[in-house]
Amino acid sequence: MIEPDLRAFLEGGLGIHIGTRTARLEPNGARALAVKVEEDRLHLIVYLADAAARRVVPDLRANSAVAVGFARPVDERACQIKGIFVDVRPAAGDERRVIEEQWEWFRANLERIGIPRIGTSGWPTWPAVAIRFRATTVFEQTPGPDAGTLVAARS
Amino acid sequence: MTVALESLTTCFQGLLPAQLFTCSADGIPNAAYLSHVDYVDSTHVALSYQFFNKSRRNITENPQALVFVPDPDTGQGWSLRLKYVRSETEGPLFDRMALRIEAIASYCGLKGIFKLRAADIYEVLHVEPVAEEVGTVRPQSHQAAAAAASPIFTINALQTLSARIHRADSLETLVDSILLALEESFGFSHSMFLVPAEEKDVLVTIATRGYSENGAGAEVRLGEGICGMVAEARKPIRISGLMRGMLYALAMHREAQNPDSKRRRIPLPGLPNPESQLGVPLLSRGELVGVLCVESEVPYRFHEEDKASIELLGSYLAIAVQNMLLQERTADTIAEPAAAAPPIAALAPSAPAQTRREVVYYAADECIMVDGEYLIRSIPAKILWRLLSAHEATGRREFTNRELRLDKSLNLPEWKDNLESRLLLLRRRLEQKCPQIGLISCGRGRFALDVRCELALATRP
Repeated sequence: MIEPDLRAFLEGGLGIHIGTRTARLEPNGARALAVKVEEDRLHLIVYLADAAARRVVPDLRANSAVAVGFARPVDERACQIKGIFVDVRPAAGDERRVIEEQWEWFRANLERIGIPRIGTSGWPTWPAVAIRFRATTVFEQTPGPDAGTLVAARS
Repeated sequence: MTVALESLTTCFQGLLPAQLFTCSADGIPNAAYLSHVDYVDSTHVALSYQFFNKSRRNITENPQALVFVPDPDTGQGWSLRLKYVRSETEGPLFDRMALRIEAIASYCGLKGIFKLRAADIYEVLHVEPVAEEVGTVRPQSHQAAAAAASPIFTINALQTLSARIHRADSLETLVDSILLALEESFGFSHSMFLVPAEEKDVLVTIATRGYSENGAGAEVRLGEGICGMVAEARKPIRISGLMRGMLYALAMHREAQNPDSKRRRIPLPGLPNPESQLGVPLLSRGELVGVLCVESEVPYRFHEEDKASIELLGSYLAIAVQNMLLQERTADTIAEPAAAAPPIAALAPSAPAQTRREVVYYAADECIMVDGEYLIRSIPAKILWRLLSAHEATGRREFTNRELRLDKSLNLPEWKDNLESRLLLLRRRLEQKCPQIGLISCGRGRFALDVRCELALATRP
């Protein structure tokens, strides 16, 4: 489902956002800090700061529908993975390194396009939660006419 | 609404990417990135609709949306809960959004590829801070950013500019005064001034400030780059976060693979990595007198509230330039013929020739090359050739604008010949490419040819 080159892209320090929805189909969203693709290349763990997770976890528990957008600031390459929520737990201590590493890569990417680190210096990264979900579809999302094209699907 | 939308106008500059969350009718959420969120009024924003993507489909099924926009000054993220209201395909808002997209695409040499289908208007139902995007107070030492946050077009700065304009006694000093004042009073250290060229729908640069080369003679077609777009639309264009916008446009271009898009990048004089650009059309009674463009490496240099001042400034400068042109022409018309004029006493004798420059006039192309390098073309080239030929034949060094105007071989238009602009352009090109030849002003309507090298003149078909 998640091919090796896509996995490398996803774990390379991107802007990540998780989208959910309420029972009344109101969209909700939050910024994520990092992502880890599991070895089965089907499940992903998205890490969010506690403050962000509070807004989307109730939706996930209620209806399981999740969409995660990924974008690389330096070239606007982007994709979106949709799936089914599996579980949520506090991020473990040994996962903090992954979070901070990807977060720093992301801030370095922003810096390359003229956005100074000071702008994101107040954004919390810890404590964090780990949201695990099973991917069902991958969509191209780089700006342009092909944005929204289905790249991979698995029921 | 917990926070007034008008207090967040800095968030709508497109400096940082925004995020759009939607949901389909069957309950599938969608998380997408947005190039730009536009402020409409205190209760509405507009999102650009360029492609019929999943977000757009969701909105047609379910009008609820959520947008995150970060404040570039503080880093604070803001969450806007929205409801789709309508789409506009014409009108001032649509024009403004379309112009911004076109200007950025044009700067990348990709004009005409990205079309705005509609400006989608949303009602803002609720605004609140994003808890995980906490803003920070900018430290005092961050001077560039602090400068960016301060207003630019103050009354004092405008008064200083006005005083400089009133002191100018020629087009050259006027244009230089404007660019100097933009730096000293407004803090814009990189600026350029373009005027319509002889060729239809072309602008030519007559003065710049802040660049390693003076850029005089650089041409831009209407609709190309920020300056060309300003001239075509006859509206000011202000772009913040230009690098992000260009990356977005280039990403779309790579995706679109449009065969028509293989155009050269426009060689504008300018900063290698501008972040903010502002182009102002200089309009006088509907006539385009010129275009003023300023740019900065500070991402958010030009503020929303400066817009009215910018338009006013454009009108004022247009009148000043036009008045100067008329004044010079009128004075020139009533001036004594060159033969009766007193000698130009102030002019020092030409320095001894230490170098040799080969100057070739290509008649078919109406262009001059110096030592094989392009110097200038069209009317300024014909003027220079006339001066150099007279100098070679008779040793003559003093000339008047009036005699140039009466010289039928130059084919100057009867009305609005822009001779002063052409002479200024010629002077600047010589300073840059052949400093051994100079045109020295000797009072209104008179100038001297200063040759400080051995010249080898030749004509080619």
